[in-house]
Amino acid sequence: MIDLAKVSKTFSGKRQVTALEDVDLAIARGEMVAIIGPSGSGKSTLLNLIGGLDTPSSGQIEIDGSRLSGLPDDDLTRMRRDKIGFIFQFFNLLPTLTCFENVAIPLHLRGWPKKKIDERAKELLSMVGLASRVDHLPEELSGGERQRCAIARALSVYPPVLLADEPTGNLDTHTGADILKLIRDLHQRLGSTVLIVTHDPHVAESCERVIALCDGRIVEDRVGKASLRLAQGRQVGDLPYA
Amino acid sequence: MNKTLLVSGCWFLVVGALLGQDARQIVAESQKRGQSRSQQYEGTLEVIGAGNKISLKRWMFERIGSYGASKAILRFTAPAEVKGVALLIVNHQDRASDQWMWTPALERDRRIALQDRSTRFFGTDFSFEDLEERDVNQFDYKFEGEETFDGQPCWKIESKPKESKSSQYTSSLMMIRKDNYVVIQIENFAKDKMVRRIHYSDVQQQDGIWVGRTMEVLDANRGSRTVLKLEKLQYNVPMKEESFTLEALRRG
Amino acid sequence: MILLRLISWPYIRKHALRWLLTIAGIVLGVAVFVGMHTANQSVLYAFRQTVDRIAGSTQLQISSGETGFDENVLDRVQGVREVRIAVPVIEAVVNTGLPGQGNLLILGVDMTGDRGLRQYDLESGDEAVIDDPLVFLAQPDSLIITDTFAKENKLGIGGKVPMSTMEGEKLFTVRGIMKSSGLASAFGGNLAIMDIYAAQKVFGRGRRFDRIDLAVEEGARVEDVKSKLEALLGPGFQVESPSARGQQFESISRIYALTANITSAFALFIGMFIIYNTFQIAVTQRRTEIGILRALGATRRQVRTIFLGESVVAGLLGSSLGLLLGIAIARGMTGYIGALLGEVFGIAQKAEEISTNPALMLFAVVLGVITSVIAAYIPARNAARVDPVQALQKGRYQQMSAGENRVRRITALAVTILAAACLLLSRYRLLAYAGDALAVLAVLLLTPTLAQWVARALRPLLRWLRPVEGTLAADSLLQAPRRTSGAVAALMLSLALVVALGGLTRASYDSIFKWLGVALNPDLFISPSQSLTARSFRFPGSMADQLRAIPGIGEVQSVRDARIQINGAPVIFVAADVRALVNRATLPPTAGDPTKMYRLTGEGKGILASDNFALLHGYKLGDVLDIPSPQGVLRMPIVGIVVDYSDQQGSILMDRSVYMRYWNDDTVNIFRVYLARGATEAEVKRRILDRFGTERRLFVLTNRDVRQYVVRLTDQWFGITYVQIAVAVLVALLGIVNTLIVSITDRRRELGVLQAVGGLRNQIRGTIWLEALTIGAVGLILGLAFGALQLYYSLRITGEDLAGMRLDYEYPYQICLVLVPVILAVAFVSAIGPAESAVRGSLVEALEYE
Repeated sequence: MIDLAKVSKTFSGKRQVTALEDVDLAIARGEMVAIIGPSGSGKSTLLNLIGGLDTPSSGQIEIDGSRLSGLPDDDLTRMRRDKIGFIFQFFNLLPTLTCFENVAIPLHLRGWPKKKIDERAKELLSMVGLASRVDHLPEELSGGERQRCAIARALSVYPPVLLADEPTGNLDTHTGADILKLIRDLHQRLGSTVLIVTHDPHVAESCERVIALCDGRIVEDRVGKASLRLAQGRQVGDLPYA
Repeated sequence: MNKTLLVSGCWFLVVGALLGQDARQIVAESQKRGQSRSQQYEGTLEVIGAGNKISLKRWMFERIGSYGASKAILRFTAPAEVKGVALLIVNHQDRASDQWMWTPALERDRRIALQDRSTRFFGTDFSFEDLEERDVNQFDYKFEGEETFDGQPCWKIESKPKESKSSQYTSSLMMIRKDNYVVIQIENFAKDKMVRRIHYSDVQQQDGIWVGRTMEVLDANRGSRTVLKLEKLQYNVPMKEESFTLEALRRG
Repeated sequence: MILLRLISWPYIRKHALRWLLTIAGIVLGVAVFVGMHTANQSVLYAFRQTVDRIAGSTQLQISSGETGFDENVLDRVQGVREVRIAVPVIEAVVNTGLPGQGNLLILGVDMTGDRGLRQYDLESGDEAVIDDPLVFLAQPDSLIITDTFAKENKLGIGGKVPMSTMEGEKLFTVRGIMKSSGLASAFGGNLAIMDIYAAQKVFGRGRRFDRIDLAVEEGARVEDVKSKLEALLGPGFQVESPSARGQQFESISRIYALTANITSAFALFIGMFIIYNTFQIAVTQRRTEIGILRALGATRRQVRTIFLGESVVAGLLGSSLGLLLGIAIARGMTGYIGALLGEVFGIAQKAEEISTNPALMLFAVVLGVITSVIAAYIPARNAARVDPVQALQKGRYQQMSAGENRVRRITALAVTILAAACLLLSRYRLLAYAGDALAVLAVLLLTPTLAQWVARALRPLLRWLRPVEGTLAADSLLQAPRRTSGAVAALMLSLALVVALGGLTRASYDSIFKWLGVALNPDLFISPSQSLTARSFRFPGSMADQLRAIPGIGEVQSVRDARIQINGAPVIFVAADVRALVNRATLPPTAGDPTKMYRLTGEGKGILASDNFALLHGYKLGDVLDIPSPQGVLRMPIVGIVVDYSDQQGSILMDRSVYMRYWNDDTVNIFRVYLARGATEAEVKRRILDRFGTERRLFVLTNRDVRQYVVRLTDQWFGITYVQIAVAVLVALLGIVNTLIVSITDRRRELGVLQAVGGLRNQIRGTIWLEALTIGAVGLILGLAFGALQLYYSLRITGEDLAGMRLDYEYPYQICLVLVPVILAVAFVSAIGPAESAVRGSLVEALEYE
C-alpha cells in the first residue's frame, strides 16, 4: 500500500539538515502503524512525505500503486484527497465553519452534489459520535469533540490511508484514550491503513506495528505489544453507525 | 545752470566787463547779451555712442519771446523715421517749462512730465532739462576765480539751484569768456560727480550777438558725446505767436 | 532603540513588502499634500516673481478694476508732491503670428519716464542693439523684445513680428532688445514693450490707461502716499502695492490648496487605516515574541514603545518617500496650474523651478509621522496588554478580534443620531459642516457592523456561486471584522468621495449648460480676442451701427464686461443694453420680480446680481452696492438676483448707459449678434469678416464655438477632480491589497488545511479572489450608499461656499455603473498577488504555522 525506497529528505539552509536518510519502508494495506522517535528524528517529515504535503529530496514513494515523485502539484493534491485522510495534533478545523461544514469541505472540494454531501457528512459525524453537534462551531466543542470532528473530516471519502500526527498530543489522557480507540475502531471497521506519529508509548503499543526513528533512520520495526490484546477489547459494535 | 543751450545756442555776454562785478552780475550780463526777439536755425546733431556708433539727426528750430518767458518749437527733419516729430517748449519765469511732444504717425501729442526732465532727450546726450530757459534768480552764484580756457581769459563761476527740485544737478561750473561774456563750458555735477559737460566752440557773432555755433555734450556716465552744429542761424526774424501753440504743434 | 533594532528589524525585514504597502498610505497622503501645495506655491511664486519683475521699482500701482481710466488722472497723480515718478501703463496679451510662440504680454509704457522705474537693460554693448528712443516713439510699430524671444525667433534689430491689432494683422518692428534679466525674464521672456500711446491705438483703448505705476520721493512713507492718493482719486481707484496684483490668482489657488488638503487628508486617513490594520496583525502574529519579551522582564511600556517606535519609523519612511514623490507630482502639476493661470492672465505662467518650502516639507513629515503613530496607538496598547502566559502556550490559535465592541456600537449610534440631526438642520452652514464630519465619523464607526451585515447577506449568494470557496471567503470576512472593515472603510470612503465628486461635477455641468442655453443664445458672438475672457482688445462703440448695416444681421447687442472690486470682492460686471437683452434672454431669477427687475435695471435704477455673487458674499435683494467707478462711487440697489455663471466669483449686470456715464467709456468687448430671419450663420459670418476683416481685428464665434469654449473652461476647472478620483481609487486599491495580504498571513494555516484536505490550487486562489471581490462588493454597496449622503454635503459646501452655485441633487448613476466593474476588477487584480503567494508557500510550514 505504502512503499518507500531510499527516501531522503534534507532541508537546506545555512546548515544542511538531514531529516530522513535512505529510508526503505513498506506498509501493507490495512496495517495500523505507529511511528515513534525523539524530537527531530524525522517522524513528522516521514508522515508529510507520505501524505504528499512535502516532496523527498531523493528516493521513491508509492501510494496505492501510484508514484508521487514528479507529480505536478494539482495531481499530488488529487492523490491526497482521494487516498489520504489527515488528522492533526491541533485539529486544524476551520474556526468559522460548523462541524458539519468542516466535514463537508473535502467533499465540496471534490465537487460532489449537495445532496450527496449532506448524506455523507451526517453519516461521518454519526460515525464519530458527533451527530448532536452538527451545527456547532469548533470553539463551542471540547478538545475531544474537535478531534472527532477532524477525524470525520479526514474520513470524508473513506480514504484508504489515514495519517495522524500526534492525534492525542493536545488532549488529556482520558480523552486521548477515547480518540485512540475511535481511530482503532475505524481502522478495523473500514479497513484503512493507519499511520500514527506519536510520542506516547501507550498509543504506540496499541498499534499492530511500531517503527522507531532516530536521526532520520529506522532503528526499530516491530509488532506492537498491545496488538493481541486489542482483539479482545471492545468491539466495533460500540460504533454508533454499526 | 546750463540754460538755453539750444534756445540761444550759447551764453550771451555783456561787453562792458565791469571789473569787480559779482558772479551773479556776470551771469545776468551774459544772458542779457544773448537776448533776441526771436531765433531760428537748422541743427545738425551727431550722437557718438560709446562704441563710436554715430547717428545723425537734423531739426529746424524757432524761438520767440524774451528770455525766460520764451516759446520754442523744434521739428525733426531727418532721418526719415523721425521726420515730423516735434517738441513745443513753453518757458515760464517762475517755474519749470511745459513741454509737449508731437508724433505724426500716431497723430497725437504727449506731455513731457516734469519728473521726466532729467532723462535723456531722445537718445542724445542732452537731458530735457537742458532745453529749458531759467531765470537767473532761481540760482545762487559763487565766483571761483579766473583762468585761461581755450586760449581765452575766463571767469569761473559756480551756480547752485535754490530749490532742490528745480534741477537734476546739484551744482554747475561755468567758464565765461571775459571778452564777450560767452559761456564756453559748463560742467554739471550731481553730488560732487561730474555727470555732463557742455563745451562751446566756433564762437562767432551773428546779427550782433556772440554765439558758439558748435557745442559738444559729454555724458560722463555713458561715455557718449553729442555734437550740435547751428546752421543758417538768424536772430530777430519776424515770427507769429500763434505758431507756438499746441494747435500749431499738431498742425505740423 | 536597541529593542527596535533587535526585535522589530528582523520582523520588518521578513515582511518588507507588507511594510512597504503599509506605509504606501502615508506616502500617498504626504505626496499629494506636498505635491499639490508645492505645485501651487511654485506657480504662485513664479507669478509673484513675474509681477515683481514687471513692477520694477514700482512702489504703488493705481488702477480702477479692469476698466482703466482717463489719461488726465496721470497729471493729477504727478502733481502730488510726494510722488517722485509716476508712469502710465497699458497691458495687453497678444497672439503673435510667429509659429510656436503663443502669446506675448505687451507692456505699453511711456519710455521717457518709465526707465526711472524699470530696468530695460538695453545697452548691452551688443552691436545689434540700437537704442534710439526718438525712432521708437516716432514709429508706432516699434517693439522692444527680450533677447530670449529674439533668439528663439531669430530676430534682430529691424526684425518683423506679426501681430493682429484692432486694425487687422500688422507687422511690428523690433527696435530694441532687452537683456534677459529682471523685467525681460518675466513670463519666460514672452514680453514686449511698446510705446503706450501706440498701444492705446493698436488695442483700441482710446485715451485711457490701465494703471499708473509710481515711486515715492525719498523720505516719504509709501503708506502715507497711498492714503493721500486714495483721498485724491476717490473710491473708484485702487492704490496698491504691486504684490497685491496677484490676488485674483491667489483666490483661485486658495481653492486648489483646499482641494489639495481634502485629498491629502483623505489619503492620510486611509493610510491610517492601513497602518492600523497591519499593526494589529503584527501584534497578533508576534504574540509569542511579545510573550517571551514579557517573560524576560520587558514592561508593558517597553512593549508599547517598541510598536510605537516602529510606527514612527514607518511614518518617517513613508513621509520621506512621500516628499520625493510629492516633488515629482509637483513637477507634473505646475504645468497644469500654470495653464490655468494662463486662462486668468492670458499667458501661461511657466514655473521654471519647483520652489520647495522647507516649512511645508517639515509639516508634511510631521503630519505623516503623527498619522502613523495615531494609527499604531491601539495595536501598541493591545500588544502591551498581551498576557505572557497565554501567549507562550503553543498551539492556542488566537482569534484576532473579540468580535463586536459594544462601546463602539453605542458611540456609533450616538454619532449617527447627531449626524442625522445636523442633516435635518443643515440649512445652517456650520451645522452642515458638522453634519458632514459627523456622518463620516458615524459611518466609520458603523463600518464593521455594516460590513458584517452586508457580508452575511452576501454569504448565501457566494455559497451558491462556489460552495467551498464562496463560503470560506464570506466567512473570512465575517470572522475578522476589524481586519476587513479597514479595507471596507477605505474603499467606502473612496467611493463616496468619487460619487460626491462625480455628482458635483455633473451637477455643475448641468447647471452651466442650462445657463448656457438661456444666457448665451445669440447666433454669433463678435469678439476682439479669440478668448472671450481676454479683455486686452476692445471695439469702439460705434462699430455696433456698422454691424447693423450688414445684411442678414437682425439685432446687435453691445456688451462691455470687466473685473472690478466691490468691497474687496472681485466681481465681473456686465454692461449691456438691458432693454434689448431682455427680449432675447432672461436669466432665471432666484429673487425678485422678473419684469420689474429688468425694467429697473434698464432704467439705470438698479443692477442685477448673479446668484453666486449673492451667495458668496451674502447679498440680498434690495441691498445697495457701492460700486467704485472713476467718477466716484456708484450706489445701486440689487433689484434682482438671477442665475448667471459668467464668472466663478460672481457677476453683476448693469445697463450700458450707466457704464458709459460713470466710466466715460464706450468700448465694447463682445457684440451679441442675432441673425435676421432666413439668414445663415456661415453667410453672415463671411459678410462680417469681409466687412471688417482687413481693417479690424475680430473673431466671429458661432454659438457652438462659444459653448465648446465654455465646456473647455469648465473641463479645465474640474480637471483637478480627476486627480482626486485617481487618488481615491489608488488608495482603495492599496487598502484591498493590504487587507488581502494581512488576511492571507492570518489564514495561512487555514489555507494550508484546505490544501491538505484536498483543495486544488485553483480552489485556494478562488477563495482569495472571492474574498477580494466580496470586499469590493461590500465596499461598493456601502460606498455608493454613503456617496449619496456625501454628494448632498458636497453640493452644499462646494457648491454654495466655494463656487456659489445652486446645484440640483442628482445621483450620478452613470459613474456607479462604471465604478462597479472598475472596483471589482481592481479588487480582483489586487487579489492576484496575494493569491499566488498563498498557493506557493510551503504546506508543511503553513500547517505548523503559529
